[in-house]
Amino acid sequence: MSSYGTALPSAARGILSSCRLSLSEKSMTPALSIFQQVRGFKNNAQKGKGKKKEVKTDRKGPREFRQKNLKDMEQFALCDAMRYIRAMEVGRESTVTKYEIHIRMRTRKDGPVIRNMIRFPHAVQTESRICVICPPGSKQAKDAIAAGAVLVGEDEVFEAIKAGKIEFDRCLAHPDSLPALNKAALGRVLGPRGLMPSVKTGTVVEDVASRVEDLRGGTVYRERDAVIRLPIGQLGFSPDQLRDNLRTTIESIKKDAAGLNDRINKEIYEVVLSSTHGSGFSLNGEFKTDSSPETSALTGV
Amino acid sequence: MVNLFKRMRKLKTMLEVRAGTGAAIFPTLATASKEFPAVTRLHLTYAQKIYGGHQGARHFWRNCLPRLKYHNPGVRMTVQQTEDQAGPAALTIYFAERVSSTASAVAGKTQVTDKHAPAPEASEKTAVVDLKNLTWEEIWSRVQASTGAEDVPVSEADQEEAKKLKAISEKAVGDRERIKAMRQAKKDQERMLAEARGEVEKLKTA
Repeated sequence: MSSYGTALPSAARGILSSCRLSLSEKSMTPALSIFQQVRGFKNNAQKGKGKKKEVKTDRKGPREFRQKNLKDMEQFALCDAMRYIRAMEVGRESTVTKYEIHIRMRTRKDGPVIRNMIRFPHAVQTESRICVICPPGSKQAKDAIAAGAVLVGEDEVFEAIKAGKIEFDRCLAHPDSLPALNKAALGRVLGPRGLMPSVKTGTVVEDVASRVEDLRGGTVYRERDAVIRLPIGQLGFSPDQLRDNLRTTIESIKKDAAGLNDRINKEIYEVVLSSTHGSGFSLNGEFKTDSSPETSALTGV
Repeated sequence: MVNLFKRMRKLKTMLEVRAGTGAAIFPTLATASKEFPAVTRLHLTYAQKIYGGHQGARHFWRNCLPRLKYHNPGVRMTVQQTEDQAGPAALTIYFAERVSSTASAVAGKTQVTDKHAPAPEASEKTAVVDLKNLTWEEIWSRVQASTGAEDVPVSEADQEEAKKLKAISEKAVGDRERIKAMRQAKKDQERMLAEARGEVEKLKTA
């Protein structure tokens, strides 16, 4: 190109460049009309910038989530981060206030996301009461009671719900009882509370007992905008308990990431510990430093 | 996730937790003297609203307690917010073995009882400080006097940091004005153009 440019006189060069521009436009007519509109529209204020407007930028932007260099970020050992968080959360109820973890992934903007459930070695949620709807006296009913369900049965449960006595936080159903459940028309009572069992939400299952166990100690997590956020401990937890939970979480996420399609590459990029009212501390993977206090001092209220 | 730099700036609240009023270390079992025995626990009770002299107590929780907790991670601290405005605003200090000599003097003539405070263990003795109608700085000076807490000197790095943050927040005032003027100018021009265009339209239709 440049060789043409030098060979031709300056006026011709100008023509050439204008030709090149119009040819490089993908669809000629609309682009041209926009161009003309722009000139009439913004009049002479942007005369100098006129050329810039014509260069089309990639409308989609980058395919991956932008990753900042973590070199600039101050990072902390677990015990040090806990010390700060406990100071910021002083005077709060220690069972209500939770440590939260935010796991930033290195991933594409499209494609599958991680979504799973996890059981912690140290349960985060305070006991949730679970109701199981299945034929009374069946094997499932016995298993569910053994797994820790509070309310098990069919008709007596329906009666109680109709009477307005809802003494549970989660509700499961066995497929065998589904017709009875639909017949009882509890959707109007349970629906608004989000308690109505349905196949879509995964609350109608064959193996009721294991599901009850999962719900009692389990936490659901999913990736949103390349970040997985979930509570991992109560404020009263000791650093060792928190470390166990954290380790379980990260292992499970790594397993999920490995279980995806071969072509999809997801990896953990940053782990941030924060709390209900505290600010976020980026973790460096160490457990404690020389200046961090005894682990016993970081437990309880 | 939020932009890295925003997060880093937000994280500088750490500095407020490290240094300031209330950044002091209580005597521990190792450093306890005859005059000042070790402090094992603190409990604060105050009412929800500020009238009746409960304001200082809440500010004490907001301002001083995080710093105390940071420098004394082993000392348990609990806060109880009540709905009883006529009730006490009190800070209960739990000493190991015996009450410090100054604590009883500071607690002084007005004896308050705080029924929300957890009962002391067999080896603990308590001193209750009445916080009603005190500002949080006054409360802190009383607490310091009665426990013999030693202030933690602010490190040089922290002083630098504070200076930097202060400079930034001062610059932010000017910057805010500048950006506001720029945005206003842009808006004005756009409005002017829109008006002009409107007149052209009118001429066309007429």
